Amino acid sequence: MTNSKIDNVKLGVFVLAGLVVLIALLYLIGRNRNLFGSNFIIKCHFENAQGLMPGNNVRYAGIQAGTVRSVNLLNDTVIEVTMVIEKRMKTFIKKNAVASITTDGLMGNKMIAINPSGLPSGPVEEGDILAVKNTVQTDEMLEVLSHTNNDVALIASELKYTVRRINNSTALWAILNDETLPKNLQQSLANVRQASVQANQLVRDLERMVADTRSGKGMLGAMLTDTSLAQELHRSMEMISTAATNTASLSRELERMAADLRYQADSGHGAVHALFRDSSLVRKINNSLTNIEMGTRAFNENMEALRHNFLFRGYFRKQERKKKNQ
Amino acid sequence: MYEAGDLSRFAGRFMREWFRPRYELAEFFRQCFIIGYKSFPLVALTGFIMGLVLTMQLRPSLIRYGVESQLPAMVGIAIVREIGPVITALIFAGKIGSSIGAELGSMKVTEQIDAMEVSGTNPFKYLVVTRVAAATLMLPVLVMLGDAISLYGAYLGVNIRGNTSFHLFFTQVINNLAYGDVLPAFIKSFFFGFAVGIIGCYKGYYSQKGTEGVGRSANAAVVIASVMVFVIDLLAVQITDLLGLN
Repeated sequence: MTNSKIDNVKLGVFVLAGLVVLIALLYLIGRNRNLFGSNFIIKCHFENAQGLMPGNNVRYAGIQAGTVRSVNLLNDTVIEVTMVIEKRMKTFIKKNAVASITTDGLMGNKMIAINPSGLPSGPVEEGDILAVKNTVQTDEMLEVLSHTNNDVALIASELKYTVRRINNSTALWAILNDETLPKNLQQSLANVRQASVQANQLVRDLERMVADTRSGKGMLGAMLTDTSLAQELHRSMEMISTAATNTASLSRELERMAADLRYQADSGHGAVHALFRDSSLVRKINNSLTNIEMGTRAFNENMEALRHNFLFRGYFRKQERKKKNQ
Repeated sequence: MYEAGDLSRFAGRFMREWFRPRYELAEFFRQCFIIGYKSFPLVALTGFIMGLVLTMQLRPSLIRYGVESQLPAMVGIAIVREIGPVITALIFAGKIGSSIGAELGSMKVTEQIDAMEVSGTNPFKYLVVTRVAAATLMLPVLVMLGDAISLYGAYLGVNIRGNTSFHLFFTQVINNLAYGDVLPAFIKSFFFGFAVGIIGCYKGYYSQKGTEGVGRSANAAVVIASVMVFVIDLLAVQITDLLGLN
């Protein structure tokens, strides 16, 4: 082989190597952009494309699944994103999968993340429109952060005012400087501790009483648990009720009687009026009573005289002996 | 201005002679071998070093911003879009522009070109068309191979202080490349090659004042071709931007 032919072979290899690099690069880029092989199209509708562009990646559960083919405005609020998805992903992506626009890393390109919903559904078909989930955008985060900053500034301002008031408060500092305060506090705490111990004891006693009562011990327990006692109580209550009824009837009778007496006294008729209002009758009665008293005294003298009479002396002595024997 | 107009006329004559028979294929392939194949070691070495150095220079800046993982993507885009074509074209201008200018200049001052005309051979077709065509077609090949070697150098650069697998590195590079990165770079490398070839031939073909003029022609060929590489690069960026390929 002449030198010229060898040089031509070397040149051919050199040119072929360059072409292979070019074709390989174009093929790999094309495959990465889903320009070759079998793909299918799915779509989703967003309110905000967030800077999504054709060529951005589409990932299903974090795995590269395809690319964005186009981003078109359907109307003033709906943006249709068309995605080219590799055919091998078709069985895995379900009809109820949810798409969202996210960022590849913290500072990376925009991309579409498709995630399974977790509910059973059939595999996605050509031209299906997936449900979307709106993610938090950077400007929304900054807006919330701005509100939070304002709140923090307000809190800091009020905290500053509070600290200043605390620093200017002589009473508070006097309390803090009071060396007896810790001892008093300790004493108070000891008292509180003791009170709580006593309260615990009281509660325990009450629990025991309640338990005893429930088990029928004591008077209250007997009242609560003894059914015969309850019947007796019921009967007693009935009797009390009957007595109360009779008392009421008696009271009414007494009222009526008092009314009659008051009527007689006020009207000037009957014995009551004569008894309470007629002064001559009262005087007569007094005289009669004086006469009876005098008669009685005279009778007693007669009886004493009779006792000393020899005719009746035996009878009285017999009576005295009988009393002594008894 | 005169020289620019004369160069344009020279380029126009090249276009006419290129498509007009008879074709000097043997000389064309010989020039392709000399211009392309023999330039490959130099382009490969510079490309490898550029990939390695670029990666090592970029790493601290990316670490500062916490995006070290984006290093393969950034290096890949930088090499394929800009550094690969431009650095290769500059190396090509230095090696091929000077050699064409010196070769044609010495032929001119020794009246070999006049002798070819007298003998009935078209010296423009034999000397200029073959060299310019070879330069135009070989530079894109060199750029592609230079890109591949440069990316390999970048991979080694990433692994000097990191631990990234070859597969992951090239996956990250390819994932971040688009046709808008590769095709404009590939197309503009044809223009770079044409500029280097036509300027080298022009300076050599119209070389004057003896051996001193040969050196001046070779030097001017390198300087003007290098400047033209940047001018074409500027125009290419504007055009790709207008076409929305950036």
